[in-house]
Amino acid sequence: MLTLSRDRELCEMSEAPTESAAVEESPGESAAQEGEANKAAVQEGDGQSTAPEQQQQEEVARRPSVPTAAASGGKIEVLLKPVGDAPIMKQKKWSVETNKSVAWIIAFVRKYIKMNVSDSLFIYVNQCFAPSPDQSLGNLFDCFASDGKLVLHYSTTQAWG
Amino acid sequence: MPQDYDVTRQVWEGKVPVEFVLAAHECTIIDAPKPYYAMLPRISYFPLALERAYKYFMSAVDESEVNKDDVWLEYDGYPLKWHYPVGVLFDLHKTDDVLPWQITVHLKKFPEDDIIRCAGRDALESMFMQSLKEADQLKHRGEIVNTMQKRDHKQLWNGLVNDRFDQFWLVNKKLMENSGSNTFHFVPMRLYKTDKPYRQVLVKPMNEAAERTTLAEACRIFDPGFDSSSSRVVSHGVEVPLDTPVIWLAENLAYPDNFVHISILSS
Repeated sequence: MLTLSRDRELCEMSEAPTESAAVEESPGESAAQEGEANKAAVQEGDGQSTAPEQQQQEEVARRPSVPTAAASGGKIEVLLKPVGDAPIMKQKKWSVETNKSVAWIIAFVRKYIKMNVSDSLFIYVNQCFAPSPDQSLGNLFDCFASDGKLVLHYSTTQAWG
Repeated sequence: MPQDYDVTRQVWEGKVPVEFVLAAHECTIIDAPKPYYAMLPRISYFPLALERAYKYFMSAVDESEVNKDDVWLEYDGYPLKWHYPVGVLFDLHKTDDVLPWQITVHLKKFPEDDIIRCAGRDALESMFMQSLKEADQLKHRGEIVNTMQKRDHKQLWNGLVNDRFDQFWLVNKKLMENSGSNTFHFVPMRLYKTDKPYRQVLVKPMNEAAERTTLAEACRIFDPGFDSSSSRVVSHGVEVPLDTPVIWLAENLAYPDNFVHISILSS
């Protein structure tokens, strides 16, 4: 099931040229399988680009993204860790564009772990605070990354205040 | 260095006159209501003031026609972000000297792409507290805010909402502790430019030459191409001298969320 959802993810990325490869699997993690999935996804994407459900989800994922001045273009490594009974993500490390927002990563995780858009999902930095939805991941990386990674905890309930 | 009472008091008391005008053409209205006027603290947030303005406008509108969650504010074509302090939005978007600041209240066509929805006063309080925690994470690795009691957090929020300077600062001075083991690690700063998302980077109180980091140096960390001859650097409506040490800004010019909010405008 997880693979299926991944496919959909990639497929959505392939549909939107400006958003292409917004999220990539980190190198070294099942690269061959990745290639296959990617190819299949592109085809599927071309064929079903008008599927309403898919379009709607794509919109959700794209909506909060904002261009950042100083941080545009680059990519950062984000490590996603579950808290409490939040479902585990099979793939934890992601390479994400710096101009993506917290709202975007919330929508992304929500989709990956197959939550409804209406279900609440909280993202925490340093196991301490929940950043503002329009905060860019680039800003968070610049301020709170350690060892070249931004660690974000996700929870289905309020975990830290 | 402790706070300069006169400065923190002035910052607290800064206000802007606002004229809320209903975008009446979007609704079925027989008599378009007159504008709603308010003096808003710069350090406060629009949703706190909007509750009364909303009630006022509702008397003129068919309530079944509008949804409270769809309310949004616009000035000069910019949807205003409700979670930014009023003073930041004013400094960033108000380009002329005309007062009061005329803001359009829209009840429809919420601009989903540009702003997030405010789910009421609780959402605002939560956003404020998280921002405060983030600031303390930068200053003290979160050690002070995390050891505070829940009632201290409430006191900060209530102090802001009820415009009680002393009540707020009684708790806030702990977050401003900058000595001994509680010396600031970094200065919580956000830099705004029109049309761009804000930037937030690590700014140390002291530079590599062991001198106090100045605002000009901080601006160059945010934007290596920063040109002081073509920019005005503004906070609380005041053009801040570029040789001001950022540590002084953090202690005296921070908004209640403990961040220093700076707008860079072209001159």
